Amino acid sequence: MAEVDLTPEDRTETVRKGSRSPRNILIMSVICLALGFVLFQALTNARIFFLNVDEAVAQQSELGDKRFRMQGTVTTVPDTKDDGSLFFAVAFNGEQADVRHIGDAPSALFECNTPVVIEGRWIENTFESELITVKHSEEYEEANEERLEEAYKPVGSSC
Amino acid sequence: MTDTKLEIGHELSSGGLTTTGTGSKVTKVLGVAALVAIGLQLLFGLYYSGPEVVQGEAVRLFYVHVPSVLTAYLGFGITLVASIIYLRKGSQFWDLVAGSAAEIAVLFCAFTLFTGAVWGKPTWGVYWQWDPRLTSTTVMFVMYLGYLAVRRLDLEPRVRSRRAAVLGIVSFLNVIIVHYSVDWWRGLHQQATFGVDTKLDGLMLFSFFLGLVAFTVVFAWLLIHRFRVSWLEHQLRLARLDEALVERRAEGTIDGTTGAIS
Repeated sequence: MAEVDLTPEDRTETVRKGSRSPRNILIMSVICLALGFVLFQALTNARIFFLNVDEAVAQQSELGDKRFRMQGTVTTVPDTKDDGSLFFAVAFNGEQADVRHIGDAPSALFECNTPVVIEGRWIENTFESELITVKHSEEYEEANEERLEEAYKPVGSSC
Repeated sequence: MTDTKLEIGHELSSGGLTTTGTGSKVTKVLGVAALVAIGLQLLFGLYYSGPEVVQGEAVRLFYVHVPSVLTAYLGFGITLVASIIYLRKGSQFWDLVAGSAAEIAVLFCAFTLFTGAVWGKPTWGVYWQWDPRLTSTTVMFVMYLGYLAVRRLDLEPRVRSRRAAVLGIVSFLNVIIVHYSVDWWRGLHQQATFGVDTKLDGLMLFSFFLGLVAFTVVFAWLLIHRFRVSWLEHQLRLARLDEALVERRAEGTIDGTTGAIS
């Protein structure tokens, strides 16, 4: 059996305790710093929250070479070039954009007809991507051959 | 010193404590139910339900990720209600319920962030993205860590409990932001699966509900034990106070028994 010491504590210490004790200040500083870091990241990254392809195309001149994220569905079979870059097109709301990806390889789910969010900037009329993230639906279907054939194919897709 | 020491497991009469531990018939039943539910969830989540048409085997993380965050919401909800009742009634019981629920909920929230990252890599291609849902969930996690930190501050107990209760109420606003973040802002995270057009094929829905039941039962089991530990700690503090009073009174007597002031 473990024993717990019930010796009365020194109450004079408790009297000195207050919200400005070094321990309190340290604890609250750590929490405030953590919260501040998360909020800073959220607010600075908010600048590159998502534009749909049609919006990104419409705002191309205003965006210039500013980095942002663009959302759309892959409409061509991704083509890997000798230099390792990946070429494909994305579309949203009937507007299409050519993409050249030069970053890390995307997830294994990346393929034609996949909704994606790509991060990069306009270089002339091509979107140069450095990060491809694959969106997945909130609907979940068990895999079987029939359903694969029924997969949704967006208008304008050459997949 | 023998009169001021307590062996854990022995009854402590001071402060009205009558329990000898944190277990009871209810927790034993809940514990067994939790083990059975976890076993069934593993069976259905990993074996009976099939892979998903797009995500393949990665979909199995859905059966722990979503139940985990829903359980965290439940815990934060209990903290909210208990904090409101504490502020109205000033009962230590509700303060301890609020703190215990928040502690367990923070664990489930951390598990949610972890499973989300593990799920994100094979599907999105990244472990982390400053997406509205992920960011707001992290803010919620840090805010409740702050709530737990406030509960540990060196303050007069009533002041500390009142400040914690206010923070417990304010922090719940973030739960609402987290839940609706996928509707209010564009993001990488998928929309809520459960709604008017819920689409979960075959055994997927059943596996999910098994997960929800398992996590809820585990939460209830942990909450009861954590609350009882908090209650024991509280009683121990009261006992210490009683012991201190007895000692001080003894110091003020001639022989320690007569009560006559020297």
